[in-house]
Amino acid sequence: MNRQHLDDINLSIWEQVQNSADLCVKCNICTSLCPVSNVTDKFPGPKFVGPQAQRFRNPHEISVDESVDYCSGCGVCTLVCPHEVKVMEMNAKARYKLYQDKKSIPLRNRLLGRSELLGQVGSGLLAPLANFTLNFGPMRLLVEAILNIHRDAPLPPFSPKRFRSWFKQSQARGERLQAAKKVVYFHGCSTNYYEPQVGQAAVAVLEHNGYEVRIPKQVCCGLPMLSNAEFWAARSNAHTNIKSLVEFVKAGFIIVGTSTSCILSLKSDYRHILDIDSEEARLVAENSYDICEFLLELADTETLKTDFQSLDDTLPYHSPCQLRAHNMGLPAIELMELIPGVTIQHMQADCCGIAGTYGYKKEKYQIGMDVGESLFNQVKATGSEVAICDSETCRWQMQHGTGAKMIHPVQLLAKAYGLGDF
Amino acid sequence: MIEYQKNDTMKYDTVVIGAGLAGLVTACHLAQANQKVLVIANGAGAMLLASGCIDMLGYHPTDSREPLTAPLEKLDDFVADHAAHPYHLFDKQQLEAGMVAFQQLVGDYAGTAARNWLLPSTAGAIHPTCLAPSSLAQGDIQPGGSMLIVGFKALRDFYPALIANNLNAQDLSLKAAALTLDLPKPVAGKTNITPIELAKAFEQASFRQTLIQTIKAQADGHERIGFPAVLGLHHHQEVMTDFQKQFGKPVFEISTLPPSVPGRRLFEQLKQRLQQAGGRLIIGSKVMDGIIVDGQVTEIRMQTANRLRPVRAQNYVLATGGIYGGGLQTDDEGHVWEPIFNLPIEHTTNRHDWFEPKFVSSAGHPVSNYGVQVDGRLNPLNGDGPIATNLFIVGSSLAHTDWVSGRTGDGVAVTTAYRVKELIGITTS
Repeated sequence: MNRQHLDDINLSIWEQVQNSADLCVKCNICTSLCPVSNVTDKFPGPKFVGPQAQRFRNPHEISVDESVDYCSGCGVCTLVCPHEVKVMEMNAKARYKLYQDKKSIPLRNRLLGRSELLGQVGSGLLAPLANFTLNFGPMRLLVEAILNIHRDAPLPPFSPKRFRSWFKQSQARGERLQAAKKVVYFHGCSTNYYEPQVGQAAVAVLEHNGYEVRIPKQVCCGLPMLSNAEFWAARSNAHTNIKSLVEFVKAGFIIVGTSTSCILSLKSDYRHILDIDSEEARLVAENSYDICEFLLELADTETLKTDFQSLDDTLPYHSPCQLRAHNMGLPAIELMELIPGVTIQHMQADCCGIAGTYGYKKEKYQIGMDVGESLFNQVKATGSEVAICDSETCRWQMQHGTGAKMIHPVQLLAKAYGLGDF
Repeated sequence: MIEYQKNDTMKYDTVVIGAGLAGLVTACHLAQANQKVLVIANGAGAMLLASGCIDMLGYHPTDSREPLTAPLEKLDDFVADHAAHPYHLFDKQQLEAGMVAFQQLVGDYAGTAARNWLLPSTAGAIHPTCLAPSSLAQGDIQPGGSMLIVGFKALRDFYPALIANNLNAQDLSLKAAALTLDLPKPVAGKTNITPIELAKAFEQASFRQTLIQTIKAQADGHERIGFPAVLGLHHHQEVMTDFQKQFGKPVFEISTLPPSVPGRRLFEQLKQRLQQAGGRLIIGSKVMDGIIVDGQVTEIRMQTANRLRPVRAQNYVLATGGIYGGGLQTDDEGHVWEPIFNLPIEHTTNRHDWFEPKFVSSAGHPVSNYGVQVDGRLNPLNGDGPIATNLFIVGSSLAHTDWVSGRTGDGVAVTTAYRVKELIGITTS
């Protein structure tokens, strides 16, 4: 089977992923760069668990793939494979089958998959209580004992005010820009329940550039459920989002997001992992942008405002795995370097170790910390009190691993535009 | 000479397609010459499986069993016998300049184009190579003497006894002994360990200390100690300095089977050099096609996670490799094509004629010679002349580069990379 045949034959997206196992020449490039197999032998490596095991997987037999559960899903393997083997996608599907055959998904995994539900419970009025509880040592021991969520895992604090309420209220006060140029903003759960300041910075930066921001109806992108093998639940969320967003796309909007992984779900995972092969899914995918990608395209066409104040700052930046999987380069660096006086130090690390919900799990916490060690040391060596990363769970892990204050690139832009310190 | 029209909409000075040795070295040279460079690669390059050494010319005639010790002296003979090999495009000075430029780029590569190191391979054979990381170069067998080769049970693809026995079986004025150890903490008890994981363990002083005590007792009477190439990944120099000091005798590394730690070190170093010089790197994105109008590439289109994105530059470099690297594609009817620019590839459509009966044939496989024909400016050719004068072909994308026989692949990559810098410099100045 060669690549041309894969392109020619009318296969479903999942069949193409599955057949890509035949393109593996066992070169080991993925093993060489896999962050997980290079710190633990519990995961034998992407080549073994991916294309090699794929040949023996029979949909009608019980899965024996215990080790695939140790794949963090970071996707480095798919990126570095020179032969277009969809290793990470294959592993995600194999993990799904593993839990399907076990006929039970641990409560812990179900909870971690529901960042939205957790956010709804913990954020807002109950935030102080929820945060106190989750910071309370004995409580974390109990959580670890009952749920197997590691006592030291970097759970983010709930925000007392949700992003959506802030947006609605500021809209009611007439503070939101109305303009001919419009984008829709996919904020995701993290911005809504944990870090509304990221969304506020994004809105400020977009409006500063003359874009009216709309916040459409949206639910959790589904990625946390997808990585915890709850495909049906993830698919249901995907359909809800596609249905809501496609109407905007048809009306000429584009979709912009600050969460690297949510936007990657819209761009790619809905189709390539959840196998949603509809025209609507394609339209949503093709019109989704990471916020820095969007702003850099404005810069390329010389329509980005460049009235930046000089910041005179040297800041470490980590490009998360999920961002690299967008295959668009590293727009955040190019964008931030437009700010006079700013120097970005790009950390040489493949992964921070958290990989979504992976590093929260009791049995995987230490693996995650070992994966992230090199990154943490590099950040600490810079001596900077602030570090930058596009992806929320990576920010929380890096804050945990380094003690640095973590911000999204758009927060730095907002500051440089003089729009406020978010 | 063609003068380029300055076009403000162009985003990059040069776009390099491919992140193997040829692509990354080209990109580093150009970025260091203040060009705005983007590298787009459909995956990482074969450097990660290679020895980390730069082979320029190892054997001539290619079926000779005697490795060359002075490759430059045989270069004219080699080119005379392989008239189409890319080396015919350069004189000796250009070749040497390319090798020196590579050394300046990466640092800590020992050797010159004038002579080959003869290094023990992971099978105990002899690997002739020009430039090697200092830690590997110290394993050169030419001074002779005695060496202890140390391995670990959990590193399953590295057998000290095999290496020592094979070295001793050759008439090399060398005496090799083998020592296989269990791993100490923090990786004790593992039944399988990757070279990368082991390299990270070596970066811990306590791990090294335990090993030093065990090995020292066995190393008496041996002049050198050889290890699999796992002596540190990011802090390799630190590990080497500590070992040389503590053992009080030379310590060297032997390349392993993939994953290759010296290959990974080189990859990380080149990535870092590129970034320091302001170059950009996208790994994991496929370039779907390129448009050529009136002898100029005007645009290429790359596949991002969700759409095709046009990229423009003044110059383009094709460094996608041959069939194995994915730079050429084939089908079962015997067609071979270059998928991005659809450049002509000379080949036979009878697939039986692509191969030699022996897998490791010193004559090489004809299929390894498939690639893009170029002129002296490394521009692709068809019957009438250059197809695009702002498109440069480097490394294994070139026709007649068979990197197995003669061991010239790295030399071609490194020298064509340097040549592109000269050519682009000439055109834009």
